[in-house]
This record gives sequence, C-alpha cells and structure tokens, in this order.
Amino acid sequence: MNGTLLLQSVIVGITNGFVYALVGLGIAVVFRGTRIINAMQGEFSLVGGLVAFVVVEQLGWPLGVAAVSGVLAGGVVGFAMEWLLVRPTRRRGVGEESYLLLTLGVAFAISAAVLYFIGRDTRSLPGIGGEGSALVFDAAIRHHAIWLVVLSSAVMLLLRLFYDRTRIGLSMMAASIDEEGAATIGINVPLMRSLSFLLGGLVGGLAGVLVSPLVTIHYEMGLLLTLKGFAAAILGGLLNPFGAVVGGVTLGLIESLAVLSVSSGYKDVVAMTLLIVIMIILPNGILGRGSRKGG
Amino acid sequence: MLRVEGIEAGYGGLPVLKELTLAIERNEAVALIGANGAGKSTLVRAICGLLPLAAGRILQDGREIQRLPAHERTRHGIAVVLEARHLFGELTVRNNLELAAAHGERHGTAQRKFHLDDVIELFPFLRTRLDAAVQLLSGGEQQMVAIARALLLQPELLILDEPSTGLSPKVVREIVGALATLRSGGMSILLVEQNVALAVETADRAYVMALGAIVRELDAAAWKSVLGDETLLQAYLGS
Repeated sequence: MNGTLLLQSVIVGITNGFVYALVGLGIAVVFRGTRIINAMQGEFSLVGGLVAFVVVEQLGWPLGVAAVSGVLAGGVVGFAMEWLLVRPTRRRGVGEESYLLLTLGVAFAISAAVLYFIGRDTRSLPGIGGEGSALVFDAAIRHHAIWLVVLSSAVMLLLRLFYDRTRIGLSMMAASIDEEGAATIGINVPLMRSLSFLLGGLVGGLAGVLVSPLVTIHYEMGLLLTLKGFAAAILGGLLNPFGAVVGGVTLGLIESLAVLSVSSGYKDVVAMTLLIVIMIILPNGILGRGSRKGG
Repeated sequence: MLRVEGIEAGYGGLPVLKELTLAIERNEAVALIGANGAGKSTLVRAICGLLPLAAGRILQDGREIQRLPAHERTRHGIAVVLEARHLFGELTVRNNLELAAAHGERHGTAQRKFHLDDVIELFPFLRTRLDAAVQLLSGGEQQMVAIARALLLQPELLILDEPSTGLSPKVVREIVGALATLRSGGMSILLVEQNVALAVETADRAYVMALGAIVRELDAAAWKSVLGDETLLQAYLGS
C-alpha cells in the first residue's frame, strides 16, 4: 500500500470523523439533557446548511454571517421542536419510544419539505479559508477541513466546560438525571429540556455549516448524517460528549481505510460490521463503563 | 405558616387525599404519622408541587401556592427531602449542594442563612466527600446530603419524608441530632415518619393519617405520651 495514499485516507477519515462527531455530539447533548434519542439531529444540519447557503449565495452576504445564520437556524429548529412537539407529547405521559417515533417523523417531514420546496438539486457552501489545500508530506488536506477539525474541537471543549463548570450546564444535567429532584431544588425542568434541544440544534446547525463545503446539501443529507452521528455517539458512549468524538473519528477512519481494501461501495458495510464487533466487545462504548452513566 | 385546606389529590383519577387539612406554625416541628399506604408521601408530593390538586388550597404565609410548579414553590420557603432522596447520583456531592445553594442565594427566604460550611458542621463527613459522586455514598450519607441540599435552599419550612427508612441506628441518631440542632435554630419542620419513637424526639405535636385523611390531631401533651397510647398505635399504625 502506498504511504501517501494511506495518509490521505487517514486525513479524509479524520475529517469525516469530526463531522460524524459533531452530529453525534448533538445527539449526545439532547440525550444528556432529556434522555430522548433525537432522530432528527441530521435535519438540524440540513436546515443549518440550507440557511447558510441562502444567506451566502442568494443574499450575497459574507460567509461568516451565513455561518452564524446557519448555526442559529439549527438552534431555532431545535428549540421549536421541543416547544411545539416534544413538550405537548410529554404532557400526555408517553413512553420513551414515542419520542424516537416523533423525531423520526419530523425528520422525514423536513426532508420531504426540502424536496418539495427546493427540489433534488444539490448545493454546496464555499469552504472556510477558501478552496485551497495544504500538503502534509504528499497528502493534501483542504483548508476547510483544517478549520472543521479546529472549530469542532473548540466546540467540544467548550461544551465540556459548559457541563462541568457552569450552573446552567449542571442544572441541565441534574434535570435529566432526576426530574423530581431537580424541580424540588428550584430547577425549571421544562426550560432545561428546551435548552438541551436548543443546544443540540446549535451543534447540528454548526455541523451543517461545516459539512456543506465537503458534501453537497441535499434533501436526504439529514437522515444520512443522523445515522452516522448516532453510530458515533453510541460507539463513544451516548452520555459522554467526548465519546462522540472518539466514536466519530473511529467511524471515519474505519470507513476511510475500508475504501483502501474494498470497493468504496462497501465502505458502510465494512464500517458497520466493525462497529457491531466493537459494540459486542465494548457494550458501553469505547470510553467504557462511565460513559453510559454520564457525569 | 403553612396551611393545607381541604385538599384532594390522587393518581390516575383515583383519589388518595380526601379533604385533608393541616397547619404548621412558624418555629414549630410537626410530625405526620400513619401506617403504610395512609397517603403521607402523597401529601408531601402535593405540598411540594409534584402532584396536582383536584381540590383545596395550600397557603404559605397567606399566599396561595397550589397552582405554582414545584420549582417555584422553593421560592416560598419550602424545601423537601423526598423519601427516595432524588439526589443527582452521577454528579458530585459538591455539585448537588452548589446547585441548591445557587437557587437558595437568589430565592431563599430563611432568616438564618445556611452556607456550605454550616452544612459541613452539621454533617462533618461531607468535608472529605465533597468531590465524590453521590452514587458512591452509603444510604445514610446520601440522606445527609439530601438534608444538606434542602437546607442550602434557605427554607423556612423543611419537610422530611421518612428520613430514617433503611438507615442504621447510628445514622438515624446522627440525623435526629441534626434535626435537634435545626430546631434549636428555629427551623420549622414537617416530619413524615412511621417510626413514632423517633418522631417524638423531634416534633412538638402530630397529625395521624389514615386512608388519605387526618384522623387525629395530637397536641403537645397527647403527643409526648403517645408511646404509651397502645390503642392509638394499634388502631392507626398497626404497632
């Protein structure tokens, strides 16, 4: 195997892995704050990417403004989702599986709406830092990919600090661990759930903005991202935001290296088979026992 | 201070509390005793807002609070330690206490303010366990964390639901000692307890509950001699 080709595959794997990690991180954020498995996390990215595209291509505003708009759009959709659908559903005292169905239904609805109003055409955003590449030995890495890794890492670190060091982050954790215990010490539990969806939406929107220069914005993009993000989150440990990073990068690398040995058409088969094997060996995720318990 | 007037509440349309009325005055410790299934914990949940009322009123210092959600009732000087404690097991002791303290600093109504050092003085083991995850503590230690957390809400009325359940006699003595300290500091207490001997040590008077209603009210004199009242103990507590 050619060394440059291997290095190139590793770079692609890490870049894709950080995209999966961001989506997985959003899933973990929502799950951590609400114990709901959000099957529409990828749709936050779809909306974020589309809004950023409209702002930069249709309105002609700077990429920075478009990026912020895309991130905020993801947050708005997340908050609205909790406020308009999850909260009324919860009042009816439904089981956990109902939320999975609810978010999956909304994911399909958003995907269908994009298909209906915008069509099958694919779109993409310009990359942050332009379209140029840097060379690592003989392997090329796009400037945007470097930005993606740096920004994703910064967001993950900030989220870690947010949950560990801020009162609001701890309150969100407390509300999800014990709803009644939280309410009796003055924590507004419904508000904390809304904030978890808002935060998940912001992370999803950011993922959409960062992924759109690499893969085209497409009406089915959300569901695909959700699947990969979910695999990343489960692989790393659903309650541990850092777990999504480990899971995402692992998944990205497996996919990318699989392409070297088998046809690219089989990369998902190889990746998912390996994931199943890892989950059998490490049922609590790569980060182990504590990751399922959170904290 | 706290007046519960003719409240009715239950689960899934089935009534548990029936026209229940009781009152707790400032600087008073009142026990609520009754057999299993009498509705004591249901009453606690109704008072702290975890169970909606079908009828009746709850007044704290003359203000109706029965329509307020649970998290807002703590702003009216009520703190509760539920039977199952409801701590945040995955968080540290410090996190559990600081979350309550943050709320208490903003909304607490107590004259006497509790700080972290005060609850550590009350329960000295906390000093060395502040950075331990709550789920790693023993049951007795968790109960003390739950009481400390409630105190940091700066309440005027502390409600404890079966604080001695499942704990060793040594830990129970420690908790009774802490309650005595709180009483001497003027804290009002509603103590829900099946262990009458224990409740007598803390409370000034008592209500007896059965089938979701108050069936007897024991004034200070009757309460102090309750352990000799075999008829009452047999009739309402089965002991």
